[in-house]
Amino acid sequence: MVTLPHDDIYQLVREPIDMAAQIRLVRGPEDGAIVTFDGFVRNQSHNRATLYLDYEAYESMALAKMREIGLQIHEKYSIHRVAIVHRLGRLEIGETSVFIAVSAPHRAAAFDACRFAIDTLKRTVPIWKKECFEDGAVWADGELPPVPAATPRAKPAS
Amino acid sequence: MPPVSQTIRVTVLFFGRLKDVAGHAEDSAEFSDAATIEQLFALYAARYPELAKYRSSVVASRNQEFAAWDTPLRSGDEVAFLPPVSGG
Repeated sequence: MVTLPHDDIYQLVREPIDMAAQIRLVRGPEDGAIVTFDGFVRNQSHNRATLYLDYEAYESMALAKMREIGLQIHEKYSIHRVAIVHRLGRLEIGETSVFIAVSAPHRAAAFDACRFAIDTLKRTVPIWKKECFEDGAVWADGELPPVPAATPRAKPAS
Repeated sequence: MPPVSQTIRVTVLFFGRLKDVAGHAEDSAEFSDAATIEQLFALYAARYPELAKYRSSVVASRNQEFAAWDTPLRSGDEVAFLPPVSGG
């Protein structure tokens, strides 16, 4: 089993994300590349002007799933350190909601791992956003996480 | 002698639009006999008929792990009903 480097970063925060600080924290002398993903609030959704977004999470599970993503990318790619930070609460247009930084000796692994991390986060981490418009608010469309279809020990239907 | 049934008590969490439909984020439920996550959802769907509409677009977790609908409940479990996730 691969253990997570204890200097990886997995956080849910309610304040603006300090991206430069995260980049400094994943950067090591043995690295040659850092790839980052900065996801931020867009000013429209389906051609409706967005006022702001409100994010909530199942915090304990979201952190567990974020760590799981870290474990997966350490297993799959030759990377050094990972930072995955997601912000919760009310976010204005242009503010960063999710930030990922991956360091690696070589760029290809960092690109691949960063892409895998954001794609997996969007499918499996229990976080939700409410889009607030002039005339009301709606929960954003999302993705249904993959779930085991049946428990292995379940009795067959009789 | 019939087996002694034990009360199963679980914590139930609702998120996103399910929280709006159920009207609260957290509840606790009790079963006097064996029950599954599916039965737990049915209990709330009976209480809040609007909730039943979401059955096909909900996943469940048990103790912070995604879980199949036929997962048996154990006392002390934390079960959450999760709508499609939209983080990022």
